[in-house]
Amino acid sequence: MVSAALKLEAVPAPATVAPLPAPRRTEIALRNVGVAYPAGREGVKTVLSKIDLDILAGEFVAILGETGCGKSTLLRLILGQEFPSTGSIEVDSKPVKKIDSRCGYVPQKYSLFPDRTVLGNVMYGPENANSRVLGRIRPSYFRFRKSLEAEARSYLERMGLRPQDMHKYPHQLSGGMQQRVAIAQALLMRPPVLLMDEAFSALDPSTRSSLQEQLHAIWLESRPTIVFVTHNTQEALLLGTRLILLGRHQETKTQRNNVLLDMAISSARLPFAERQHSTEFHELHEYVKQLAYRSSSMHREIDLSPALGTEGCL
Amino acid sequence: MYRVLSYRWTLLSRVIVTVALLLIVSAKTAFAEAPTFTVGWSVYAGWNPYFYMARSGILKKWADKYGVAIKVQRFDYAASLDAFVSKNIDACTMTNMEALDMPAAAGVDSTSIIIGDYSNGNDAVLARSNLSLAQLPGHSILLVQKTVSEYLLERAMVLNGLGSDLPQLKLVNTSDSDIVGAYLGDKRNQVAVTWKPLVSEILGQDSGVHELFDSSKIPGEILDLLVIRTDVLNRPDGSGVRFAKAITGAWYETMAQLTGSGPMSLQAIKGSASASDDTVESYKEQLRTTFLFSSPQSAEQFATAGALKQKMDLVRQFCFHHALLGQNIQSVDDVAIIYPDGSIQGRKDRVRLRMDATYMRLASQGKL
Amino acid sequence: MKPSFHPADLAGIQVRPSRLWTQSLGWVLFLVGIALYVNTSIARHKENPEDRIAPTATQLFNGLKSAALEPAEEDDPVDPGATLWQRLTHSMLWKDTLASSRRFLIALALLIPAVLLGLHMAVFPYFGAVFQRFVLFFDKIVALSLLPILFIAFGIEEWSKIMLMVIGVAPTLILDTFNIARGVPREQIVKAFTLKSTNLDVAYRVVLKQVMPQIIDSVRLNLKPLALFLFAGEMIASTDGLAYRIAIMRRHMGMDIILPYVLWVALLLFVMDALLRFANRRLHPWYQPL
Repeated sequence: MVSAALKLEAVPAPATVAPLPAPRRTEIALRNVGVAYPAGREGVKTVLSKIDLDILAGEFVAILGETGCGKSTLLRLILGQEFPSTGSIEVDSKPVKKIDSRCGYVPQKYSLFPDRTVLGNVMYGPENANSRVLGRIRPSYFRFRKSLEAEARSYLERMGLRPQDMHKYPHQLSGGMQQRVAIAQALLMRPPVLLMDEAFSALDPSTRSSLQEQLHAIWLESRPTIVFVTHNTQEALLLGTRLILLGRHQETKTQRNNVLLDMAISSARLPFAERQHSTEFHELHEYVKQLAYRSSSMHREIDLSPALGTEGCL
Repeated sequence: MYRVLSYRWTLLSRVIVTVALLLIVSAKTAFAEAPTFTVGWSVYAGWNPYFYMARSGILKKWADKYGVAIKVQRFDYAASLDAFVSKNIDACTMTNMEALDMPAAAGVDSTSIIIGDYSNGNDAVLARSNLSLAQLPGHSILLVQKTVSEYLLERAMVLNGLGSDLPQLKLVNTSDSDIVGAYLGDKRNQVAVTWKPLVSEILGQDSGVHELFDSSKIPGEILDLLVIRTDVLNRPDGSGVRFAKAITGAWYETMAQLTGSGPMSLQAIKGSASASDDTVESYKEQLRTTFLFSSPQSAEQFATAGALKQKMDLVRQFCFHHALLGQNIQSVDDVAIIYPDGSIQGRKDRVRLRMDATYMRLASQGKL
Repeated sequence: MKPSFHPADLAGIQVRPSRLWTQSLGWVLFLVGIALYVNTSIARHKENPEDRIAPTATQLFNGLKSAALEPAEEDDPVDPGATLWQRLTHSMLWKDTLASSRRFLIALALLIPAVLLGLHMAVFPYFGAVFQRFVLFFDKIVALSLLPILFIAFGIEEWSKIMLMVIGVAPTLILDTFNIARGVPREQIVKAFTLKSTNLDVAYRVVLKQVMPQIIDSVRLNLKPLALFLFAGEMIASTDGLAYRIAIMRRHMGMDIILPYVLWVALLLFVMDALLRFANRRLHPWYQPL
């Protein structure tokens, strides 16, 4: 069993790591959020209930859970695509009323505009940010476009695209390439929050691990707050600094809401390459697997460990 | 078990098919007893009596007398002409102008055996706001082009010395089913040329419209005929002639009823009116402007008079000038008409339309 | 290794006909049709040399010549010393083609707002709420039955025919655009909003640009109903136009003019469809039809 107090060994931080934003302010706040909707014969279907969450700036929160347990719904609430039946959501201390550019978004697929090239897709956001339609006739806009294009190119190359891919259309790229472009498209806007909905779930293992590494490197550099939804335990434990495990909503006396587990990930303090092989990782992995298994609908009794502190690590 | 069942089914189905075939064949031979002829008619005051004729049994009586079977079928006017030209029906009611344009010019040798009536006011040129014929050029004229309506308009202009204005007329081809709505609905449409009962509808609904000219000013030029294919008439077994006699006899009996008095006349009028879903008053109103050759004598007289040739000539010149006789017809004489006295209008070797008074004569002599 | 041809292949699915086969088989039905017609024509002419229902090839050719080089009956005769081009531009066929094409193209232009309405109905929920039920109902009104009303409202000149075309085809186009635009994945719209797009940006720069090739395909399919309504209007009340000429020619069985006209109209529509297909491919090289 993992205990709350872990012995943190001092490990020297690499040079490209940005320091944690201080003081740690709450980037995303969910207060008493519940989502329920009428559903035919069952009466009312509750997806989430009484969720209270504070996500601090710079955290990498991994939301884990089986299909249908409400993790995508949680993400969409923060995004602004769905509205809660009860409670409120705030991003950067302002309530979320609709989808806007406070959050970047990377869905599992279909996020690229098919009528634009890779460069066109990636440049879309910053172009919008710069000027409206009429402003595009000015000569300063052309200068801006040139510099934007150079920046987009370099970013994409860092993500792993070759120069000859820059002018391809999305349908000509493989799944992994498309996801890289999607991430670049979101990140070029430098959003404070990045929401990723099973972004790597449709990829093959090698592409997946390479993208995980890249995402981690990007996070170290600019420290956006990342909320990463996945159903893969290993991925969650590998990338995240904090793990939230959701189970399907059930009415029991002991369970307050879907959140089965909300804890800091102890192995996050280790360098990326070593994490997977550390014993903490394995213990954590086993524990979470057990919990997830027990929480599935086949079992009614759930053993909750007390929610641990949510201090970020590293 | 399955194989035995399927064998029985096969046998049964074979028996059924054989019996069905036998019935069909015997039915065909049964029908081959009396030759059948089809007469196509369309809604018009002078042709509605065919409907009554068939319904009342007069037609059957005459058909049985001559040992033929006659069917009467209603069409739209243009469709009846198409059916006649493509030889799907044996006889058809049509005007003298269509008899020239359609079957005759298409090489289908046709014979007119009954001259039923002529339009004596049934076709009219209507205008608004005191327009006169001299003022027509420049205004849109709604009419069905290339039919008796255009002929009427031309005759109206020529008879009033305005023949030179003809090229300046702006003709808008409007189908008869929409002409009333289009004319009444838009006051900018100043002129329309059409026939009764559409004329009566327009005049009745808009008091600003008056008649500039009508067919009573050109009596005998727009004739309504019963036309039969000459090859049907000349069938070697004589059934065509029998058919002609039967239909002529039936027609004059119906005419006698229609124009007579007493309860039979009322029935005849009601029956004819119902052919076009008209009221009796409306139908009588149309009959008033139709000059019926109700007696075979009057019909025969008209058919043998010299005036007929003059009038037919006017019509055929019109048809030729408007290329209605066919794009490739080089001269008006290429579609020739032969008259009861044997005289031919046009080239002798190109007779396509025959005005035949034989049956009307037989009827007038009581020999039917 | 080219597989040898086996007659049973004709009824197979897992076969790969060579290019020679696919190209030449495509002409077979044309040849069959022409052969049947020629047969009928010869048979009818044997029976009646002056038959006008099935004109011979020479008669058809003469009919076409007179339509393309001679002016319409209602116009002045052409100058005998005129050049070929002058005769062509004064001919009956030219006059009718211009008149009908004008109406057709004006109606097409008026259908652009219909496409935009369908787009807005799909993307903006309130628009959809207001219009969807009504458009679905309006679509079921048989446009031809509105013709008398159109005559009263617009007169029997050009506008009633153009409005007939627009009223006939617009609901189909609106509903089709609506369905197509709804097919754009929700993720892209969400993503666009996170990339600082306004509502109009999403509607036009994201959704409309994507669905444009499908809309052009839909317009291509609707060319035929558009032509159908044009012909209905022209046959009922007109002074010129391709269908007007066919209606007039019918009065005296002028099949030697009617048949060339019918084939000419088919050719015009075929060319228009081909142009749209070509434009679609050039403008939208990224489009992958499913």
